[in-house]
Amino acid sequence: MRGMQADRWQLVSKYLDQALALPLNERATWLQSLGNENPSLADELRALLDEHRALADQHFLEDSPVSPASQATPAGQTIGAYRLLSPLGEGGMGTVWLAARSDGRFEGRAAVKFLNISILHHGETRFKREGSILSRLAHPHIARLLDAGVSPAGQPYLVLEHVDGEPIDAYCDRHRFSVEERIRLSLDVMLAVAHAHANLIVHRDIKPSNVLVDTGGQVKLLDFGIAKLLEEEGPDGAATMLTLEGEWALTPACAAPEQLTGGAVTTATDVYALGVLMYLLLSGQHPVGARIRSPADLVTAIVRAEPPLMSQAVAHVSKEAQADTSTAANRATSPDKLRRVLQGDLDTIVAKALKKDPKERYTSVTSLAEDFRRYLAQEPISARPDSIAYRSAKFVRRNRIPVALAGLALAAILAGVVGTSIQARRARTQRDFALRQLSRAEAINDLNRFILVQAAPSGKPFTVKELLARAERVVGRQRGGDQVNRAELLISIGRHYMSFEEDNRGRRILTEAYNFSRQLSDKSIRAKASCALGSALVSTDEAPRAEKLIEEGLSELPSEPQFALDRIFCLSCGSYVARERGAPAEAIARIQAAQRLLKESSFQSETLELSQLMELAESYRIAGLHREASATFEKAWKRLSALGRDDTEQAGTLLNNWGVSLSQIGRPIEAERILRRAIEISRADEAEKDVSPMLLINYSRALRDIGRLDQAAEYAERGFAKAQQVGHDVVVRQALLLMQSTYRGQGDLARAESTLSEVEPRLRRALPPGHIAFASLTSERSLLAQARGDLPSALELANQAVGLTEAAIKAGKQGADFLSTALVRRADLLLQLDRPTEAAADASRGLAMLQEGAPLKTLSSSIGRAQLALGRALTVLGKRKEAALALRSAVENFEDALGAEHPETRNAQRLAAVGGS
Amino acid sequence: MGSTIPALIAAADRGDGSAAEALFRALYDELHRLAQRELAQRGAGASLGVTTLLHEAYLDMAERSGPSFPDEARFLGYAARVMRGLIIDHVRSGQASKRGGQFEITALDTKVADNAGNEKELTQISEALDELAKVDPALAELVDLKFFCGFSFVELAAMRGVSERTVQRQWEKARIYLHRSLRSESAV
Repeated sequence: MRGMQADRWQLVSKYLDQALALPLNERATWLQSLGNENPSLADELRALLDEHRALADQHFLEDSPVSPASQATPAGQTIGAYRLLSPLGEGGMGTVWLAARSDGRFEGRAAVKFLNISILHHGETRFKREGSILSRLAHPHIARLLDAGVSPAGQPYLVLEHVDGEPIDAYCDRHRFSVEERIRLSLDVMLAVAHAHANLIVHRDIKPSNVLVDTGGQVKLLDFGIAKLLEEEGPDGAATMLTLEGEWALTPACAAPEQLTGGAVTTATDVYALGVLMYLLLSGQHPVGARIRSPADLVTAIVRAEPPLMSQAVAHVSKEAQADTSTAANRATSPDKLRRVLQGDLDTIVAKALKKDPKERYTSVTSLAEDFRRYLAQEPISARPDSIAYRSAKFVRRNRIPVALAGLALAAILAGVVGTSIQARRARTQRDFALRQLSRAEAINDLNRFILVQAAPSGKPFTVKELLARAERVVGRQRGGDQVNRAELLISIGRHYMSFEEDNRGRRILTEAYNFSRQLSDKSIRAKASCALGSALVSTDEAPRAEKLIEEGLSELPSEPQFALDRIFCLSCGSYVARERGAPAEAIARIQAAQRLLKESSFQSETLELSQLMELAESYRIAGLHREASATFEKAWKRLSALGRDDTEQAGTLLNNWGVSLSQIGRPIEAERILRRAIEISRADEAEKDVSPMLLINYSRALRDIGRLDQAAEYAERGFAKAQQVGHDVVVRQALLLMQSTYRGQGDLARAESTLSEVEPRLRRALPPGHIAFASLTSERSLLAQARGDLPSALELANQAVGLTEAAIKAGKQGADFLSTALVRRADLLLQLDRPTEAAADASRGLAMLQEGAPLKTLSSSIGRAQLALGRALTVLGKRKEAALALRSAVENFEDALGAEHPETRNAQRLAAVGGS
Repeated sequence: MGSTIPALIAAADRGDGSAAEALFRALYDELHRLAQRELAQRGAGASLGVTTLLHEAYLDMAERSGPSFPDEARFLGYAARVMRGLIIDHVRSGQASKRGGQFEITALDTKVADNAGNEKELTQISEALDELAKVDPALAELVDLKFFCGFSFVELAAMRGVSERTVQRQWEKARIYLHRSLRSESAV
């Protein structure tokens, strides 16, 4: 006979269900009572159940890497010091047996857990050693690990104190514990975890099924540190999680975000798990929601979604009020009352434990327990609730890429002044950080189940880079599913590559995203793809196309408010493109439009506002509107400080650019102060030798401008050396120019000459002929000739400098703000050559340009110099009154911008006093 | 071909026996083709896990058929049975083995020594499952999904919307049934 007759099986099947649901010790009784009613059925069942027990030994249909011949531990066999009694069931990791100590010593029962994993030879020692460490963890609320070893058949096992109890959530529900009672019970759990932490053991897998309440009402934590036991040290010393039969080695639902993204697992991870447990116990729901179907959905939710506050979660349980009532009933209350109890402090405590960033959670389980204790005692808790701005900002991940990060480095080569926003080395750290953000927020979605599911089996925790690469591959292979999502993902990956200067890769992916988006009808994604690609192409030889793409993107978007964020994104990209193209007015207009849109929209994001301010400031600076730039920088700085981020990377960038701007408007004292702070910040977390060469140069310039020439030379030389090391050509050139000007100032003309001669060939290699940098270079040569006393050459060069600058301006390129400098320098020279009329003309023209569009009482060294030159010329021309005015103005400007001690100030004061001769 | 599979599934759902057979053949071809393609892409010596193959197949077919394609759980209900056949065929030709809890299909002929024994046992199990399917189709499907397709209890519980313990109990029951079947088979 094969199998069983159909109807027989139907009957037997039903009874088997019942029997298997009973714990072993109750089955005998049950069978007996069945036997009284129906003996033949009972016999049949008994036989089947006996067979079943025997099956456990044979691993029939089971997955065991151990070959059938050498495996098996039938009941009665001894493992270590324990005798196996009967199977308790199957855990996630392997079969569990009830056991007793074979020498009768330990009175209670133990549970022997066989692990279906294979341990390599060196792993065996470690396994046993770790096991012995863990077995020393003795606490009334922790189920002790009694022993760990490897069976003769080669199968690892753990011997645990057997706890006869039920999971804490079921227990609380069954007894209808109130919120308060649940908290009290949980405090024991927290004490246990804290005890383990004090012994440097992290649990890593705290979940309801691991927190049992025994028949005496005592809480017992199981599986402590098991996860640690399963770690294997890889060849590079990195720990990896052994995988068990291709399944997750931990329970995804209770995993902390960092466990899923390969971040460090610490005591904060246990805090998170306790947060999940409390959330469940108090509200009856899981923080990541009930509608999760697939493992990948779950992971996305854990890593990405902020859980709703418990009080909100109970308010929106389901469409059926019945579920709400039963949840509340299990807590001995009504739905409304439950919501009110949970609102406020309890919401806050649990939310803090569940923060995505480990650093934002309670630093220890003890402090978590403390806050619960305070709640029970009706004392104020320590955790602060999130502000609305914080929460709403957190909800929008899509547009969170800070512009400073994704905006890319800007290297505007103006007359001797360069600002840059990202230092190469720092970029790498930022890249890793942002990649982590990426993996959390963007790379994991429905379609990436492969990434995660396949990451586990290979046994390696996936690093973020791998995740990114995998995301790329999967997105590449995937043909089904949400197309818009796929495009979104591609854009995001591409932009991140760009922001870390992996330009080629980034461009390739953004091109793919763009092409792909042409097939879609979703306007938002089409626009985003266009604009993202545009901003990536602007620094290539496809630059003209960049602008077209921006326009395409902007015109794609309807003006409805729901597209506001997309429009803001496009405008930001557009502003960047305009800047790079050298159309600064357009850049300013676009970012201002973006600002207006943000203001009008109901969306709040301080981060975004701040990024926009920084973009605007940069746009002003590139446009040569240094006063506006400086004012905007100051505004941004205030915001940054208010956000408490005034010692961050972003702050350093801001200060650098601001300092440069101030240098440009001839306010070197402030520039020096601000740039010094920028250096301090960048030195704060790294050694001095890692401060950006660009920043060193900018600082050197400010020092030179205030007359501290020796220090200036020193910084310039340091910046030069470093720039060479890094291979940053722009900075090398700037360093050379600066060095030569300090040498000139110090009177070391020969050195200045030789340094200067190194610059021209480099410029020729790097820049097109009409570039303003050549005018600047020529001007420096003129100054040098002047210092040497070779006035005719100096004048010729000065004329060239002015000519080149005017040509550049005419060609629509940068240079407008250098012209005044060139003119004033020439005026100075002309005075020396005894040509006061021309000198006066140049000086007043320069002055007019400087004062044009500037607020009336602006004071700067540039204006001071112009006034000085003008005053001297006028004195020679006999126009005393105008001369005196100009000279006094020069003094005023110098005093304010350079300080009373500065040589230029002294000089001006002397001339003013004497009447200009 | 992709567009007829949803129709076949719908018909099979209604109890149309010939549709079920046609569906079986269509799915078999599809899975086989996909397996070959994946293996080719991965290169020599590569192996392909069955769960991966199933996921890929689902995405592939779903994308081609559009929104009318049923959800993965239903798809798997049929595909799991097909997978059983595919695996046994591969085991027969030495191109499949169980590794780390999952069946894996390989391109090369691995000719594992005890494969002959494996094949016989698997065939017996398969026949027993066919019998079981007549009285308890859900249970047979569970065995296909767990044993042949390599889904874990967690996943199965999620798929069926029940607790893990329930799935485990069902699995125990299935083992009892199959063991009894095989034992009586060899006794005959």
